[in-house]
Amino acid sequence: MLKPILIPALVLAAGAGPLHAQTDYYARAGAMWASNLVRDVLVTEVTVQQSVAPMVALGVGMPISPGYRAGLEATFASGGFSSEQDGAEADLGTLRTASLLLGLDGPVVQNLRWRVGLGGLFYLPSEDRGIFLEGGPIRFVAGAGADWRYPVMSKWDLMLSARYDFHRFTTDELEQRGFSQAQSVNRVSLSVGLARGIR
Amino acid sequence: MTRASRCLAVAAALGALACGDIGAPVRSDLYEWRLEAPAVPGPGTDTLSFHWTQEDLPVRVWVEDAFGLPDHMARAIDVWSGTFLYGEFDATLVSDSTTADVVVRGGTPEGKLRRLRLHSALRPECAGVTDLDIDVASHELRLPIRVFVDPRSLPDDPGIEPCLALTSIHELGHALGIFNHSDDPDDIMYLDPEVDLPSNRDITTAEAAYHTQSNLQAVRP
Repeated sequence: MLKPILIPALVLAAGAGPLHAQTDYYARAGAMWASNLVRDVLVTEVTVQQSVAPMVALGVGMPISPGYRAGLEATFASGGFSSEQDGAEADLGTLRTASLLLGLDGPVVQNLRWRVGLGGLFYLPSEDRGIFLEGGPIRFVAGAGADWRYPVMSKWDLMLSARYDFHRFTTDELEQRGFSQAQSVNRVSLSVGLARGIR
Repeated sequence: MTRASRCLAVAAALGALACGDIGAPVRSDLYEWRLEAPAVPGPGTDTLSFHWTQEDLPVRVWVEDAFGLPDHMARAIDVWSGTFLYGEFDATLVSDSTTADVVVRGGTPEGKLRRLRLHSALRPECAGVTDLDIDVASHELRLPIRVFVDPRSLPDDPGIEPCLALTSIHELGHALGIFNHSDDPDDIMYLDPEVDLPSNRDITTAEAAYHTQSNLQAVRP
């Protein structure tokens, strides 16, 4: 299950020496919102949604052509999730998500850069029950965003980031219960952090 | 197709993908779980339904330490809580019977007959009874719900453990709100079931019970 994270991490680590001078690093913290995970009908509509969750992101990037960089970004978020029906909520515990996106970024204007990425998203529920009775799924995820950097020291930049990503959510348990297709889940995050590296 | 129209088509496809909902299953195969009782006051019948509310959870279950019942009831709790997708039911074993919502004992009921008694003749090796103290006039379910599991054969009978396991699940099914028996032997809530675990019909019925307005209120002494 950890292969998609470990292999790129090892490849990057192996090339870290010669590429160090050109490598861009960053770390950010912020908050993430996600749309409904499940929309069901049991007499009336039932939805399952994650709470706004604190998140951290770590990333590295390397230049691939003037102005453009390729890199990896890992994001981890942890928050509650609950079901809601007719205004009544039921707490379903803690839900953690971890994503790893292989991305590309480029310039927009002076300190602003765009970013796109593709990767995997891991659902890590605190308990295997309910919709996660058969465990948390791994889903393909696509994302985009923007980074704004402001130099605060000789090698350090303040970094403000906005991210959007999208995936199709279902679980083995939902499929066994007869749910078809998958729920489109949109996630948005805002974060602030520090970046060090090339400008 | 021009470049602009291609971009529009791609954007429309991505938009549709980003807004698609999961397809919920149709849940129509279920049985009557509610209790019909003579209406008080007045003629006719009253349909009584009950489920534990979120504020009641986890339901507190006290189990007599006899015939391995604590282990069987712990498994029954796992089985039933695992049938729900949205945290509708959960229960926990407690050590103090005076604060319990459900009291489980080995043997047969003694003393006065409760207002409603659900008998289940599960297998030759054992039987179960659930007593519900319901005041039809006030629509009150007086706690605790009392469950009796009666081993009718010797402890070394190879059929006794499976029977106690199945009876625990069946009687807890009554205690969580399925107040009727199924009419299908392939359901665990049948009077004398041929299965050991809740069927899809049992699960659909339990879901319906928990997503339909309850008209009985649990009252603690």
